[in-house]
Amino acid sequence: MSLGFLDVEAAVKSERFSPVARSPMERLARAAGGQFEIRDGWAVAVSYGSAEREAETVTRAAGWADTSHLGKLELQAEPELLEAIVASNASAPFELGCAHRAAGAWWCPLAPSRLLVVCDPGRLAPVRGLLEQAVGASDVPGSLVDVTTVLAALTIVGPAAREMFARFCAIDLRAGATPPGAVRPGSVARQPGVVLCEGEDRFTMLFGWAVAEYVWRQVDEAGRHLGAGPVGVDALRPLAAPVEVSSGA
Amino acid sequence: MTRLPVKPGERLPVKPGERLPAQPGERLARDRVVGFTFDGRSVQGYEGDTVASALYASGQRTFSRSFKYHRRRGLLCCAGQCPNCIVAVDGAPGARACTEPIREGMRVEHLNASPTLEFDAMRAVDVVGSSLTPPGFYYKTFIRPRKLWPVYEKVLRHAAGLGRVARRHTDRAWRTEYRRRHADVLVVGGGVSGLRAAASAAELGADVVLVDEGPQPGGAAAQDGRHLTAGPLEEQAIAAGVEILTGATALGYFDGIVPVWQGRTLHQVRAQQHVFATGTIEQPLVFSGNDMPGVMLSGCARRLAALYAVKPGHRAVVATTSDRGLEAAMSLHEIGVEVAAVADLRQQSGVAAETLRKLGIEVLPGHAVVEAQGRKAVQKATLAPVDARAPSSERAFDCDLVVISGGFVPCTSLLCQAGAKTRYDPERGHFVLGELPAHVHAAGEVAGAEDAESSGKLAGLEAAHLIGMGDLSSRQEADELRARMAELAERLASVLAPPAVCGERSGKCFVCHCEDVTAKDIRQSIAEGYDSIELCKRYTTITMGPCQGRMCELQAVRLMAQEIGRNLSDVGTTTARPPATPVPMGVLAGPPFEPAKRSAIHGRHRELRANVMWAGDWRRPYDYGDPEGEVMAVHRAAGLIDVSTLGKLLVRGPDAGEFLDRLYPNRLSNLKPGRIRYGVINTDAGRIVDDGTICRLDEETFYVTTTSSGAGAVEEWFSWWLTDWDLRVYMTDVTQGLAAVNLAGPRVREIMAEVTDLDCSNEAFAYLDGKRALVAGVGCLILRIGFVGELGYEIHCPAAHGEHLWDALLEAGAPFGIRPFGLEPQRVLRLQKMHILVGQDTDSESTPFAAAMPWIVKLDKEEDFIGRWALERYSSDTPATTLVGFTLADGQAPTEGAVVLDGAHAPIGQVTSSRFSPVLGRVIGMAWVPAGLASDGERVTIADQDRTLRAEVRTKPFYDPEGEVLRS
Ligand code: FES
Repeated sequence: MSLGFLDVEAAVKSERFSPVARSPMERLARAAGGQFEIRDGWAVAVSYGSAEREAETVTRAAGWADTSHLGKLELQAEPELLEAIVASNASAPFELGCAHRAAGAWWCPLAPSRLLVVCDPGRLAPVRGLLEQAVGASDVPGSLVDVTTVLAALTIVGPAAREMFARFCAIDLRAGATPPGAVRPGSVARQPGVVLCEGEDRFTMLFGWAVAEYVWRQVDEAGRHLGAGPVGVDALRPLAAPVEVSSGA
Repeated sequence: MTRLPVKPGERLPVKPGERLPAQPGERLARDRVVGFTFDGRSVQGYEGDTVASALYASGQRTFSRSFKYHRRRGLLCCAGQCPNCIVAVDGAPGARACTEPIREGMRVEHLNASPTLEFDAMRAVDVVGSSLTPPGFYYKTFIRPRKLWPVYEKVLRHAAGLGRVARRHTDRAWRTEYRRRHADVLVVGGGVSGLRAAASAAELGADVVLVDEGPQPGGAAAQDGRHLTAGPLEEQAIAAGVEILTGATALGYFDGIVPVWQGRTLHQVRAQQHVFATGTIEQPLVFSGNDMPGVMLSGCARRLAALYAVKPGHRAVVATTSDRGLEAAMSLHEIGVEVAAVADLRQQSGVAAETLRKLGIEVLPGHAVVEAQGRKAVQKATLAPVDARAPSSERAFDCDLVVISGGFVPCTSLLCQAGAKTRYDPERGHFVLGELPAHVHAAGEVAGAEDAESSGKLAGLEAAHLIGMGDLSSRQEADELRARMAELAERLASVLAPPAVCGERSGKCFVCHCEDVTAKDIRQSIAEGYDSIELCKRYTTITMGPCQGRMCELQAVRLMAQEIGRNLSDVGTTTARPPATPVPMGVLAGPPFEPAKRSAIHGRHRELRANVMWAGDWRRPYDYGDPEGEVMAVHRAAGLIDVSTLGKLLVRGPDAGEFLDRLYPNRLSNLKPGRIRYGVINTDAGRIVDDGTICRLDEETFYVTTTSSGAGAVEEWFSWWLTDWDLRVYMTDVTQGLAAVNLAGPRVREIMAEVTDLDCSNEAFAYLDGKRALVAGVGCLILRIGFVGELGYEIHCPAAHGEHLWDALLEAGAPFGIRPFGLEPQRVLRLQKMHILVGQDTDSESTPFAAAMPWIVKLDKEEDFIGRWALERYSSDTPATTLVGFTLADGQAPTEGAVVLDGAHAPIGQVTSSRFSPVLGRVIGMAWVPAGLASDGERVTIADQDRTLRAEVRTKPFYDPEGEVLRS
C-alpha cells in the first residue's frame, strides 16, 4: 500500500468533488485581508490588496507570507546514500546546517541520516521522482515520506526579519552565524521547527501544521510593533539564482 | 510635551532658588517644560529631568518612608542603587524616582506611608514600638496569644511591602517584549571604560552590545566634568557598530545569558565574551541619624548639580574618607552652596584640603560625622575626632545638607554571578576582584583601575582576541596595555577604611537603609548566635532589600568583624544571586506563549458552534451543544468526529515488524498487509502507558496510532529504543500532517457509497481492515475500527484536505441524519463498549492483566519485548484489584474518582469513568474493585460525596457485548 494518503497531489478533481488544499493559516490570512488564488491545487494568499504597500513593507520593515504549500519531502537513509543523493542532485556536499538550492528545491541536511527537501509546489512530483529513483536504485534501505502537510511554513522577508525572529526564537540568525543557505533546526515560538535562510533578510520557517495558527499569532505579535505585516506570496521575489553555498554552521 | 516660550537658562515657575544656571554637561532641555503630579500636586520640570530631580527642584525633600520604622527618607545616591526614592508611577509600584525620566501627565505617588507621606501613622513604630520589632521579631513577638494572630497578620500585612499592586488584572497588566540578542561581546556599563571596551572590540570586527542603566552613557564621567570624554567615546562606539542600550539594567548572569531590562523590553543577551565595566558604588557612613533627608552621598549631590542643575542644599557639612569628598566640597562651593565644614576621616588630607582651606572652608582632619539631627530633614550635624583618644572636641554645625562619602567599592555582583571570585584587600579597605573566568573581563573602576580608558581598551581587545579577532598589532597593543595596567596597579595609593560605626549618639545608626537594620540590630543578632554573615543576613534581612547589599554589605561585614574579633577576609561576603536589581515579576514573565494545537478542521468546529475545550495540548470540540442527541445520532444514523489529534507514526524499514514486536506485548510482525491490530504499550515494569492501533501498510511499513495525549511520549519512547537497538527502521511522526475523522453509525456504508468507489461491504472491507482509496476525491487511508461501538471507518487524509473531507462527509451524510459529535458523546459511546482511556481508567500501576486485558499479552512470543519480565510475573498472580464495569439502576452518575466501599464501609476501590447512557437508559461506569468482586452480578457500594450508591458489577461491554454490530 503506498503512502498516497499523505500526498496532497493524490487528490483527483471530478464533477462531484473539487478538493482544494488549504493552509492551516488560511482563516487568519483571510481575516487579515488576504486575497487567494488556486495554484497547484492549493488556495494560496497571493496578496493583501496592494502590491505597492506589500513591496514597501518588505523593503522598509518585514513581511510574512504563508508558504505552507511548499512541497516538503523527508528522506531518511544511511548517511552514504544521503551524501550521494545531495551530491548528484545539488552538486554539493552533505554538510549539516548547510542547505543547497538546486532543481527548484532546497536540500537541507538536518541530521546525518535525515534530509529535508523543500521545493516549489510545482516541483514536488519531479523531485519526489528523483528521490524515489535514487532510493530504489540503492541497496541500502531508506524511507521517503511526503511531509508537506506535516510542516506549515511562513516566509519572513525584510530588514526587520531578524528582529521579528528575536521576539519568538532564540536561534542565532545574525548574518554571520546564519548566512544565506544555512538551515537551523531549533525552537520557534517554543515549538520544534526549522529556519532556512533563503537569502539576505529572507527566512523560511517550518513548524508543525497543528500549531500554525498559534505561530501566526506569535509572528503577528512580534511583527506588529516593528512595522511588519502579512504579505502575499507575490510580494516575495522569486529565488531565481542559486544561492552561494555557505558553511555557516 | 508643553512647549513654552522660555529661553535657555530661564527659570521655571518652580520653587525659586533651587535651579542652577545651565551646567556644562547637564541633561536638561530647558526650552521644554514637562508637567506631572506627585501625590496629586502639580510639578513641573524640564525634559531630561528625572522625577527625583524635578521634585527636588520643587522643594521636595522626603521621598519615601522606611520599610519598618516609617522614617522619612530622602535622596541618598541619586543613582538607582538605594531604596530611598522608590515611588509608584502611573499605579505601578517600584520605580526609582532618581532614574525615572519625567513624562507629561505622569502620575507619581509615594509608597509605604499612610495616610500621607508627610503624616504617616505607622511612624509610631519608630517612636514607641522599636522594642516590638527587634531582629528576628517574627520569631519572637506577635506570637502570643495565638488567637490574636489574625489581627497581627492583618496589621503586619498592611505594614509590610513597598506599595500595592493594582487589584484588577487590567490595571496591572502591561506588555513586555522578549528580545533575544546574540552577540560576540556584551559590555555591561557605559562609563568611559565600558565605552572604550565596546569600541575596541567592535573595531576589531566583533558584534558588540553595550548596556547602561542611565538615560545616556557616560557613567561617573558625566557628573564629574569628564562629560567631554564620554561623548566622543560614545560616537566612536556607535561608528564601530556597537548597539548601545540605555536605560537598560543587566539583571543577572544565567549560564552565559544576561537578561537586560529596558523599559518594556527584556533583552536576553547571549554573548561569547562579557566585559563588566560596572564601576563602583559609593558607600555611606554609619552614624546616628544617617538616614535623615538631607544626608546624601557625594555622588548624589554632584549628580543633582551637574546633570540636573539642581542645588542640593544651601549650607553643607561634608564627611569623607577620600579626596572624592573633598572634590565634592569644591563642586558645592562652586555652585554657591556654603560649605560649613569638611570632616576628613584621614589624618592627612593632602593638596585638595589645602585648596579648600584657601577658599575659606574649614577642613577637620581625623574627624567624622557622628550625628545628624533635624525634624523633617537634617538641620544640624555633629563632627568629632575619629580617634577616641583624641581630646573630645565635638562641634555642631547648622546645615541643611550632609554630604558623606565612605569610599567606593567595586560593583562585583554580576561578575560574581558569572563565576568571578573576590578577596578582601586591606590596602583598599574593601573586597576586590580576584580570579575571573576566561570569558569574563572587568574594566575600569570595578577592576580597581584608575586609568579607565586603558583598562577598557584592554578588556575590549582581550574579549575580541578570545573569539579569534584582531591581529598581531592588536595583540601587541594588548600586551603593552596589560603591562601598563600592572604598573599602575602597583602604584595605587592605599585607601582608608572608615570605622564600622562613626558615632552612636541618641538616634538610630542605620547599617541597612532598605530593611531598617541598625548597628544595634547586628550586634544583637551576633549576641544571639548569628555570627556568620550568611546567618546574620537571614536573621536580620540585611542585604536582602532593594539595594541587594550594595550599600550595606560592607558595613555589615565590618561591624561583624569588629564585634567577633575576626578580620574581614574571615567574615567574607554573602552570595551574589540574580536578580542583581529588583525587577517587576511581569518583566520576567514576558509575553504568554500558549502553544495550542488545532486540527485542520478546527475552523469548521467553530463555525458549527462547538464547545471547545483543552485536551492535552489540543483544542477540541467537547460537544456541539447536544451531547445526548449526538450519542443517539451515532446509534441511530451516523456521527462524525474529528480524531486528527490521534498520534500517528510511520514505522518503516526491513526490521519494522521486529521493532514493533519488541515494543508491544502482542505480535505484530505477522500482521498481514492491509490488516489492523490493537496494541498496548507498556513500561519495562509492565505498566500500561498508551494504547492504539497498528495497521500494516506493506511489508516494510506500519502505521501506528496512539492516544492524542500520549503521542509525544510514544514518539520519544520509540525514538529512544530506536537509537539503542541496531535495527534498520526509520520513523516519521505524521501526527500533524494527517487529518482524521471517524464516521460511525448504522448508515455509514450508505454515506461511504456517496463519497468513494471503494467496496465497503463487509465481505470486501472487513472489520480491522485498512485500505487506501479516494474519498471525496482525496487520497485517504481508511481503517475499519470502532472505538465508539458502531460500524465505523476512521478516515485519514492530508491535513490540507481535512476540511474538504469533513464537508463532503457531512454533506453526503445529511440525507441519512448524520451529526458531528464531540469528545463528550465519544466518551459515553466508548464507555458503553468498556474501552479504556489510558490515564483515566488506568494509572501508573495498571498492568494489562489488572485492566482485564490479559489477551493482549503474548507470553508465547519468542522475541523479548519491553516489560516481558514483569508481565511474566504478573501473569501468574491474581491482581489485587481489577478494572470492571458497573451499572446503577437509577440515579445520577457518580463523580469520577468516587470511592468504592466494602461492607464495613472501608475504601476498596475507585470509580474511573461514569456516564448516563441514553441508549441503555441507565448509568454505567468503570471502577477498580478487588479481584474477588470482579464477577458479573456482584454488588458494590459507591460513596460519592454525600450519596451512597449500590452498583452491579459487569465484566462485558454494556453495548453490543459480542461485537456483532461492530463486525456487521
Ligand atoms: S536616591 Fe534613588 S535609588 Fe538612591
